[in-house]
Amino acid sequence: MNLGISPKSRVSRLFRSPSFRALAALALVIAIGCVFNAEGTFFRWHTHRDMLRHISVFGILACGMTLVIITSGIDLAVGSVLGLSAVLFSLFSLQLGWPAWLAVPTCLTAGAACGLTSGGLIARFKIQPFIATLAMMVFARGLAKWVSGGRKISTAVQLADGSFEYREAPGVFRILGSKLFGGNIAVVTLIFLACALVCYVLLARLRLGRQLFAIGGNEEAARLSGVPVSAAKLLAYGLCGLLSAAAGICHAVQEQQGDPEAGAGYELTAIAIVVIGGTSMLGGKGGMGLTLNGAMAIGYLEKILSLNAVGEATRLMLTGLIIVGAVLFQKHRK
Amino acid sequence: MTAAQQTAPRLSAPVLRMTGIKKSFSGVAVLIGVDWALRAGEVHILAGENGAGKTTLIKILAGVHSDFSGTITLSGKPVRFRGPQDAAGHGIAVIHQDIAVVPSMSVRDNIFLGREIVRGHRVCFRAERDRARAVLGRLGLDIDSSRLLEDFPVSVRQMVEIAKALVHDARIIVMDEPTSALNEVEASRLFKIVGDLRSQGRAIVFISHRLEEIYRVGQTITVLRDGRAVGTFPAAELPPDRLVELMVGRAVDRLFPPRTAKLGGLLLQAEGVSVPDPSGIKPWAVEGLDFRLRAGEILGLAGLRGGGASELVHGLFGSFGKRVRGRIRLAGEAYVPQSPGCAIRRGLALLTNDRKSSGLVPTMSVGRNISLASLGRFSPWGWIKTGREAAAAGRLIETLGIKAGAADEVVANLSGGNQQKVLLARWLETSPKVLLLDEPTSGIDIGAKNEIYRLLDIWTSEGKGVLLITSELPELLALSDRVMVLHRGRFIDEFDRGEATQERVIKAAMGMENQA
Amino acid sequence: MKTKTILLPAAGLAFLAAFSVACGKDHGSPASSAAPPKWTIGVSQCNLGEPWRVQMNQDIRSAAEGHPEIKVIYKDSQNDSLRQRSQIEEYASAGVDLIIVSPKEAAPLTAPIAAAYRQGIPVIVLDRRVLGTEYTCFIGADNVRIGKAAGHWALRKLGGSGKIVELEGLMTSTPGQDRHAGFREGIEGSGLEIVFEADMKWLEPDARREMESALSRFPRIDLVYAHNDPGAHGAFLAAQAAGREKDILFVGIDGLPHEGQVYVKRGILAASFEYPTGGREAVETALKILSGEAVPREITLSSRVYTPENVEAGGEWLRDN
Repeated sequence: MNLGISPKSRVSRLFRSPSFRALAALALVIAIGCVFNAEGTFFRWHTHRDMLRHISVFGILACGMTLVIITSGIDLAVGSVLGLSAVLFSLFSLQLGWPAWLAVPTCLTAGAACGLTSGGLIARFKIQPFIATLAMMVFARGLAKWVSGGRKISTAVQLADGSFEYREAPGVFRILGSKLFGGNIAVVTLIFLACALVCYVLLARLRLGRQLFAIGGNEEAARLSGVPVSAAKLLAYGLCGLLSAAAGICHAVQEQQGDPEAGAGYELTAIAIVVIGGTSMLGGKGGMGLTLNGAMAIGYLEKILSLNAVGEATRLMLTGLIIVGAVLFQKHRK
Repeated sequence: MTAAQQTAPRLSAPVLRMTGIKKSFSGVAVLIGVDWALRAGEVHILAGENGAGKTTLIKILAGVHSDFSGTITLSGKPVRFRGPQDAAGHGIAVIHQDIAVVPSMSVRDNIFLGREIVRGHRVCFRAERDRARAVLGRLGLDIDSSRLLEDFPVSVRQMVEIAKALVHDARIIVMDEPTSALNEVEASRLFKIVGDLRSQGRAIVFISHRLEEIYRVGQTITVLRDGRAVGTFPAAELPPDRLVELMVGRAVDRLFPPRTAKLGGLLLQAEGVSVPDPSGIKPWAVEGLDFRLRAGEILGLAGLRGGGASELVHGLFGSFGKRVRGRIRLAGEAYVPQSPGCAIRRGLALLTNDRKSSGLVPTMSVGRNISLASLGRFSPWGWIKTGREAAAAGRLIETLGIKAGAADEVVANLSGGNQQKVLLARWLETSPKVLLLDEPTSGIDIGAKNEIYRLLDIWTSEGKGVLLITSELPELLALSDRVMVLHRGRFIDEFDRGEATQERVIKAAMGMENQA
Repeated sequence: MKTKTILLPAAGLAFLAAFSVACGKDHGSPASSAAPPKWTIGVSQCNLGEPWRVQMNQDIRSAAEGHPEIKVIYKDSQNDSLRQRSQIEEYASAGVDLIIVSPKEAAPLTAPIAAAYRQGIPVIVLDRRVLGTEYTCFIGADNVRIGKAAGHWALRKLGGSGKIVELEGLMTSTPGQDRHAGFREGIEGSGLEIVFEADMKWLEPDARREMESALSRFPRIDLVYAHNDPGAHGAFLAAQAAGREKDILFVGIDGLPHEGQVYVKRGILAASFEYPTGGREAVETALKILSGEAVPREITLSSRVYTPENVEAGGEWLRDN
């Protein structure tokens, strides 16, 4: 309309956009890292590579969590499903010697089944997401312990006489646990980025993604506009379970074992990543780009605290403060 | 100088005077110097289109906005409210447009919310209950005040708001579109209460978009336009045509455009339709209804709130799933309501009566709100063709004259009328054969109403059929080719365009026999 | 509506059924044998989330297998002191012949243990102490001693000087504090220097992350002392990813057969110090008590160190020095 105004308004619009604010929060964390750089360690490439590797598992969980939170739901079971999948994958590949093409899809299916079950309880029986996924969180953890007999599943296989035999980890463990491009990027990081890309396309370009946004924004309006609400929710939780299982496989290959306790408390980190990114817990607003940002912000934060060997008590307090700070910072510009 | 002085001083000195009120939101001026005065014992109408500044003015008076320029004089003394509690303490009670009650609390707790009767630190429930009963009785409401408010219909919630004002003995009572959620009978009762309050010497500010009620309750009218008060007049001296002209700033040739659509063949035929009651109070909300709708026809559905009209359109649309009984033929083929998605594919479109709770997706852009019901067309194999989607949205924004900065503007930023047009655009994009419109003009200004009336005429000319529900009788009578009246979920009477009058429709709606 | 009301409890029941199956496997069933057992022993384990405690139950079970005269019942109190309290009371009222309890914490469990003891039921307290002396026997290991032995071992291995990374268990827990203090004591006055210490909360992924930071900061690290074997394993994986695992010695604690001992055998850890569960000793002591023999009030368990040289031979007992 007015040529004189439009560039300026475009700039102010950029400043107010959620993605810009999420980037600003990330920049803030990186700036902290530049100041407290632990004798220059922060500026070395492998610090960043290791941060990416470490955050990948959490990032994959956060991808699924984003889908669910956009429908104004929540999935507390991601950490437990991760543990279940880590145990199953280790059991299948390390101890039962299944080939990767069989073990990986089976674990992913198990994770998706967990997600679909919570989704079904939520979509069909109208149980609140918090409660349905809380039940699944407890159940999946129990299942992981039952399957593993409460022990970590590793390459050491107990024989009938009580002695142990060590098997070589199968190729899939080595490949997924390795780094590519001259050791410059971990395979799990690539898996994380691939998951993020798939979820990005889903949310930005697929009909299902649009439907998830509509459900989160106004479920009744979405239903009356012909959106298949139950099916869409079911798929969102199912995908979240599937991604949790993928994260579980990544966790297992990094640890070279399946720990039935793996992933305890990870759901909170995944939620923190989504929220710091700027996706609204009320649903309907957000996106994968934001979650990617949030994952980097949390990853750098943990890395900086770890590099400087900050004590546990201080770490917890600082993390709490920075989460609140980042969220307030995003709100402030409104 | 000011319009307020055009009225000869009649009753008494003003209890309230607001002078030179200016207020802007993030650089956009909403009020540019409003002057007006309110006297005890009068019902003062604030009239004006949406966006004229009425609501902002009321919020300043209620103490919601404290950063404005200008002065407020209360009984001759200048005051400045620090917040809503402060304004309430000065005897100003405001009943906001969006009913501000807590449905999950009891009627009594709502009435005394924030100003509980306390003895020491304990709330005195007995005293509250007695006061509540007395006040509710004065409003003609005989209900148990300890029951939860959500158990009652919207009209009771409105009454509870008024009871709140009475209980705190407010001198000035402001009602912002109080009848938008009421039916004719409830509205009449409200007008009687307003009259009583006036005769007790209280001053009442009344905001309404409905011309008939403006003249029914008001003694004085102040017209706001574009953030200014364009004049204050005794109601008796301001004919409706002139009022509309002042509000719109131009002459509206005719509020209701003539119907030009020609009736075509049979479009929708229903026999013995029964719709279950969503609230579960009674088994059926609509029972054994027969009706026909022809192409190009507007069939008006009249009846009291709860008469079953809303449930009927929801039932036809599949909102209640497969629980609707009866034989329905749509464009010559059998139709069984199953789900909204199915209804949309068969060419039905439902505009619900509450755009906030069941229409708009406030977090999404205008364009995405428009395409929501027809996503399937833009997304072969699930992949959204954003170019085609944006083009379609742009076309509709232009056709319907939606005033939005861009298709990617968030829909929550639009005015009520434009939001309603976004929803109409959503349904138009599905190429419907039959439009089910439930209160299509509620809460929007006269200019926007006029445009929607025109659009209805154009669409019916294209051969679409319309089932229209509206609680504004003049609108219903002017638009409908035929009016079907429901009473307690059953057919009671039907009038053709020529024979329908307000009186006959109301009588039928209340269940009285008409001698035609 | 109808289907919903029926299906919900059904789903709940299915959930519970699956859950009880899961729990059932954890507890295991008592060894069945032809001759009816003479004595019943009740075991109350404070939780079965930690592999070390699973191992403890396993040790009790395998020790009891050779003795058809005893029947062992297992209960898991899932890290809940009150639940453990009621389990002890249940054993007492059921009139078992002996109770073996590995308490979650001292204060809330002292009273029920004392009550059972006064009732005439012998009580063996395993691993963690209770207050007072109203129990039959305490069996436990000494974390400070193990930490100190690890310190001495490091001193011998590195020859007096070197840079050490310490990955601590939860420093708010007693084992974490003791293993830390013992190690410091063991290397005191030597040229060994702890250049980086971090709390990995007993968790392998955290240990890996902390080790990555240490590796980034320090070009030379000679030894990693982790308060448990998973921590040492996580540190190894981090070093392996950086190609530096050959330059560093990894030392852990616990020495479980399927964990620490395996890591040592595979050359991942240079040493793992056993933190004995005492399960076997508890059953042996129980048998003595039941057959009327006198037992000491306190048994301190000896630990073994597993190194690649001795692991096949079953480790080497630590000497106090």
